[in-house]
Amino acid sequence: MRKTWYIAVREYNAAVRSKAFIVSMVLMPVFMVGGIVVQKLLKGKVDTTDKTIAVIDHTDQLCEAIEAAANAYNENELLDPKTGKKIKPKYIIERVAPSEEEPDKQRVDLSDRIRANKLHAFVEIGKDVIEPNSNPRANADILPMTERVVYHGERAAIDDMRGWVRRILNERIRELRLAKVDMAADVVERLTRFVPVEPHGLLSLEGGKVKAEGRRSEGQLMVIPIIIMMLMLMMIMIGAPPLINSVLEEKMQRIAEVLLGSVTPFQIMFGKLLGTVGVSLTMVVIYVGGGLLLADRIDATQYVPYHLLPWFVIYLVMAILMFGAMFSAVGAACSDLKEAQSMTMPVMVTVMIPMFVWVNVVKDPLSGFSTWLSLVPTCTPLLMLVRQATPSTIPAWQPWVGLGGVVLFTIFCVWVAGRIFRVGLLMQGKPAKLTDLVRWAIRG
Amino acid sequence: MENAVELSQVTKSFGSHIAVNELSLNVPSGTVYGFIGPNGSGKTTTLRMIMNIYYPEKGSIRVFGETLHGAWTDRIGYLPEERGLYKKMTVRDILKFYGRLKNGADLNTRITDWLERFELAEWANKKVETLSKGMSQKVQFIATVISKPEMVILDEPFSGLDPVNAEVLKDAVLQLQKDGTTVIFSTHDMAVAERMCNFIFMIFKGNKVLDGSLSAIQDKYGADTIRVQIDGNSDLLREIDGVDKINDYGQVQELRMRNGTDSQDLLTAIMSKARVRHFEIARPSLHDIFVRIAGPEAEEATHA
Repeated sequence: MRKTWYIAVREYNAAVRSKAFIVSMVLMPVFMVGGIVVQKLLKGKVDTTDKTIAVIDHTDQLCEAIEAAANAYNENELLDPKTGKKIKPKYIIERVAPSEEEPDKQRVDLSDRIRANKLHAFVEIGKDVIEPNSNPRANADILPMTERVVYHGERAAIDDMRGWVRRILNERIRELRLAKVDMAADVVERLTRFVPVEPHGLLSLEGGKVKAEGRRSEGQLMVIPIIIMMLMLMMIMIGAPPLINSVLEEKMQRIAEVLLGSVTPFQIMFGKLLGTVGVSLTMVVIYVGGGLLLADRIDATQYVPYHLLPWFVIYLVMAILMFGAMFSAVGAACSDLKEAQSMTMPVMVTVMIPMFVWVNVVKDPLSGFSTWLSLVPTCTPLLMLVRQATPSTIPAWQPWVGLGGVVLFTIFCVWVAGRIFRVGLLMQGKPAKLTDLVRWAIRG
Repeated sequence: MENAVELSQVTKSFGSHIAVNELSLNVPSGTVYGFIGPNGSGKTTTLRMIMNIYYPEKGSIRVFGETLHGAWTDRIGYLPEERGLYKKMTVRDILKFYGRLKNGADLNTRITDWLERFELAEWANKKVETLSKGMSQKVQFIATVISKPEMVILDEPFSGLDPVNAEVLKDAVLQLQKDGTTVIFSTHDMAVAERMCNFIFMIFKGNKVLDGSLSAIQDKYGADTIRVQIDGNSDLLREIDGVDKINDYGQVQELRMRNGTDSQDLLTAIMSKARVRHFEIARPSLHDIFVRIAGPEAEEATHA
């Protein structure tokens, strides 16, 4: 056991001092948090150049509303009330009389102006938009052109201004239609008011008082499971795959033979796995510790699922042992990096499976699919934890049965990998085939 | 004398290839035992079996009188043919690591002593990747002996070393023997084997072909070798009756007499052709014996 420990210590030191580890330690959170930060930074950096849109109004009744809305907007929303800085583009409406003779030429001309950057977009309002005759349930595509409003622009589909125009036009059109039947807009609004169905959590009795979890947003429900899963996946990915390189180094530099003169192959492999577990626990201390500190600073401690912390650590240790054993077997079976890369794929995919299904599991953690998949040992660490992180009550036996399965499967993996490791370690030259691996595992 | 290693009827094969066939061998404690044989004849496989890295299919291996596997590896230092050092570790760290794996005691002082002895003291805190080939070979040797093992197994310890370093290493090996350590080493260099070994063992195609002290081996091959120096062209010797083979070393010619030939008749015959400056009835050199067994294809290997 002491020798295993020495190997573990060496492995740990070699891993945490490697550049790859330090870089990924620093970069991983940068990538994860970076996206949010960049979004935040870019939020204020919208394009504030003035936007002119041309309106061809065949109804002759709607353009005014757009102009009025644009004026109101230009007056009230253009400047930041605190700093007085211009934070939004000014909207300029240009009314264009419809051309009776050459409507297509008019459209082409306007398009050319957009291409020349003289114009932002142009809107053409059909003449029967206010009082359409066709079936109100008909698909917009089959309506006659006279009943449609078309927004032409280079990025029309994702243009914010199109949404603005739509809102203004519809408000005005509704007003006009209601006026025709002599109804006031506020009356209609009261009559057709929509009642929301709020998503709330469960209630519980604490010290004689009813405690409600209150309103829960979709984001809140998804955020915690995904943070937990990504954190664990990241630790597995930083910890386990480097074992391939480390075993390969020992094999290619013929260090393995020196080691085998002192320790058994199983001791080597187990020592390396323990070292890797140490690396992951170091990451837990840094990331989870950092996360908890951050949660404390931003007053988000009520969202931290403290009860999951022990499960997180146990599952992580098991996952590292399980996948680490697989990766070291791959390393031992190959004789160069190229070979190893192709043999790594299946193991990588096995690690990643939970990534592909986690949304379904979070949405319905009690479904048969979620339950069974989370009991498959290679998926248990990530998926069971994700299920436990949702507010649903997972039957109490399931995490334990899952853990039992993981422990058994991990022992099996380490045992099989140990046998492949022993045969593969001194094997040079010809690459091992899958059948060889199976034979080594069975015969030892 | 007690035996450090006893192999009896040991067989090991890889697939259909029999690497070592029914090999029996005793290595007495405190001796220097040389393993010779052409490439691929089973030397390394035998050494690895003694180290418990390979398991024999048949036969038994006893080390220090015990068949118990594993525990005694702490008492053996092993220097594999291909050197293996972690490139990113410092010299001191790696020596300490290998020493600990053998449960060695007093490692720090011993490391300092050995590094000084091999003139590597100032490299102690440098990374292995900065060492030259000769230096890393010396470091590897220190790693083998750092835990003070009772026996060391050295697979080709002198290959690739320059003469100065080879000499340093040779002295170190002989010092180990004086301190009571049993030394087993394999080599291609017959001259080294002749000079250093108490016993020589030769394996050829997995079979033992020679085993014993140098003089016993030479006796077995008889005094059929004549070393001569003559004035004039050595080609003259080829015309003489009773000679099986001539090894021409330039200044000296080595003749192997045909069975039943009298050395005095041979001398007379040579004297009739040329002036003889030197005539010696000698025992065959280890190199000669090696080549006789392994055939001409092995000759190149012995000069490697």
